[in-house]
Amino acid sequence: MRARLLLRSALRPLTILVSATLAVTGLVACGSGGSSSSGSATSGTVNWWGWTPTDTATAENYIAAFNKQYPNIKVNYKLVNISDWVAALRPALASGRGPDVFDMQPGAYVTQFKSFAEDLTPAAEQALGSDWKSKVAPIGISGLTADGKLTALSVGSVFGGMLWINADIFKKYSLSPPTTLAEWQHVCQVLKQNNTGCFVQGAAQEGFDQDTLQSIANSVQPGLWTKASTGDAKWNDPGLVKTFEIWKELFTSGIMQPGAVGYQQYPDANNDFLTGKYGMIMMGTWYTEYATTKAMTAALSAAGVSGAKPFPILPIAFPDVAGAGNTSEMYGDADFGLAVATKSKSKAAAETFVKWMATTSGGQQAIANQLNDLPALKSVEPDFGVIQLVDPATQTKPVQDLVVKAGNVTEPRESLLSADVQNSILAAATSVATGKATPQQAADTLQKAAEAAGETFK
Amino acid sequence: MTETSIPQHAPRTGRIDTVGGGDRAGRRHQRRPPGLPWILPALILSVGLIYYSIGYTGYISTLDWDGISPGPRSVGTGNYTRIFQDPVFWDAVWHTAVFFAVTFVVQTLLGLIFAVLLHTKVKLATVYKVIIFIPVVLAPAIMAPVFRHMFAPDGELNSLLHAVGLGSLAQPWIGQTSTALPVIMFITVWEWTGVTFVLYYAAMTQTDPSVIEAAKIDGAGNLRTLVSIIWPDMRGTTLALAILGAIGALKTFDVPYLVTIGGPNYATEFLGTYIYRMTIPLDHVGYGAALSVILLVLALIMALVLQLGGGREGKAGR
Repeated sequence: MRARLLLRSALRPLTILVSATLAVTGLVACGSGGSSSSGSATSGTVNWWGWTPTDTATAENYIAAFNKQYPNIKVNYKLVNISDWVAALRPALASGRGPDVFDMQPGAYVTQFKSFAEDLTPAAEQALGSDWKSKVAPIGISGLTADGKLTALSVGSVFGGMLWINADIFKKYSLSPPTTLAEWQHVCQVLKQNNTGCFVQGAAQEGFDQDTLQSIANSVQPGLWTKASTGDAKWNDPGLVKTFEIWKELFTSGIMQPGAVGYQQYPDANNDFLTGKYGMIMMGTWYTEYATTKAMTAALSAAGVSGAKPFPILPIAFPDVAGAGNTSEMYGDADFGLAVATKSKSKAAAETFVKWMATTSGGQQAIANQLNDLPALKSVEPDFGVIQLVDPATQTKPVQDLVVKAGNVTEPRESLLSADVQNSILAAATSVATGKATPQQAADTLQKAAEAAGETFK
Repeated sequence: MTETSIPQHAPRTGRIDTVGGGDRAGRRHQRRPPGLPWILPALILSVGLIYYSIGYTGYISTLDWDGISPGPRSVGTGNYTRIFQDPVFWDAVWHTAVFFAVTFVVQTLLGLIFAVLLHTKVKLATVYKVIIFIPVVLAPAIMAPVFRHMFAPDGELNSLLHAVGLGSLAQPWIGQTSTALPVIMFITVWEWTGVTFVLYYAAMTQTDPSVIEAAKIDGAGNLRTLVSIIWPDMRGTTLALAILGAIGALKTFDVPYLVTIGGPNYATEFLGTYIYRMTIPLDHVGYGAALSVILLVLALIMALVLQLGGGREGKAGR
């Protein structure tokens, strides 16, 4: 009897745990079907959830510009950390108490959330005409389309395959941006001798590991990463094994910061770079906004630096770490698209906001001038006449060159990868970094995992 | 028909109770209020929600389902087969076992020592009690960023080590597989030793002072008294703590998720974090449900083993 009683008391917390798990999944299970209510297109409240813009000040800028044209639509922006995005959004959308508008990204998120998103093809046609596809960057259409449905209107695109440096630190120690692995190691040695961190990355997050790995792979053999993503090459291709070997070298040669595999890109790595602890960081074009005085000041404040003086950051190409003479090509995706939730009770107002952001010159110019994304509309470019960079003398040309270079990129970033494959890439990257697997073993495991996840190979 | 009538309230044994005792028992039975209405709310909660949920979890565990799609695919025991071949699952089980063994032993030791010390005439005893218990009431979500910072490569722990000339011991504590799990265990011990202390402290107040006095008269020192008199008297409390600790280890989620996200490279993955990882970010709701069922079975087995083991020890001790 006593045993039974103890067992029951022992069971209770577990049953509650199981119930809680089920409550979450149960909520998700209820999450399909749409709502026909649309509300007013020019008034109401729109709740927008996103992982980007990564600081609310940027989002408030967009909203302020939108409200000049639509003063009666109140938009509330809720920033959700990207690592919590799926966990937060799924039950919220399923319950119908979630956002009216939410960020969407090609790849796993489109797969996971397409059933909660309205088809925005009619909205695009209405805003830009029947030839709307010719006016929008192609990278912003294909990745956001699933099952014949345009799940979100692309607001802008982001691109990886590059690094950012703290220009002040490089100037202080008379360093040049590294172009090879040896030069990179030299830069790190000099900074270490001066008690300054060299390169920082949140290697605990798959998206950023993928960026570095894709950059390395492009140095080894341009396009190989994409081929593996499409099944035209295997993940244990010798070129990708070599990629993991170089990845490992970043850790063993002192380039990657100590404990990188325990770091999150946001906030850990980002804060460390912004607070001047490190001279280099792996970030993509979305970081361009921190080249501006306004965004850099806000970011420093968010990083906990009081009264700090903004410093100039510069984009540099990812070094030719393989030494094969291949300048690492950039790659990119739509980031972000805005989706309208099927269960939104302010669908019309939500659609007004999304259309304004994605298809009007006013909205797109605000996006372009923010430098967080490259605008989706081909006709819009950043207006450097009004953009205030921290140090225009050193930053203007590199930033303008970056914008031009990114505009010609065709290689996808994450849009071809499922959540399972991304998770397996993270596992492979961390197992190599921690010495739990050799590059060959990690690549073999990744290949098996990709096959198990349903990726087919030629 | 000359059948003797049996009173309605009498037990249906066929025997007529002719003495007064039977009537008294019957009257007691009549006065007792019916039990069902009293237990109905708990019954509905238990059967209607908890046991239904367990059953539904069992059903989902036979599906290949993302939790949203309308047509889940039945895979029978496929998820369970995959789990037993999944190295991350076995890692999680191993971490749970190590975590339980270490945290239970350390917490028991510290809790016992604190309880013994605070039963002596210590100045500011109340202050010490509060200090020991405060971590219990602090939410892990609040403390996680503090610990992340404390154990960061440039965090307070490494700064302290450098300051005292032990810089060679400085490490990226949560950024390497060898030290991440010990950090999680350290945080857990810090958080829960207060509970162990309180339970031992309360249990010690039940120890008969005359027994301790007799032991002293017989010449037992403090250590001998602790080992031979107090510790055996704490068996019930220790068993309860072991069961709570075992179930707590199986349920571990918040600290590893908030501090290390189960990493690096699954070094701090527990069943709870793995269920979450598979169910929410990766959409494998069926697989996550199968893991939940296994977690439930493991909890049952662990509670049973500890209870039976504790019972046997108790008998042997007597």
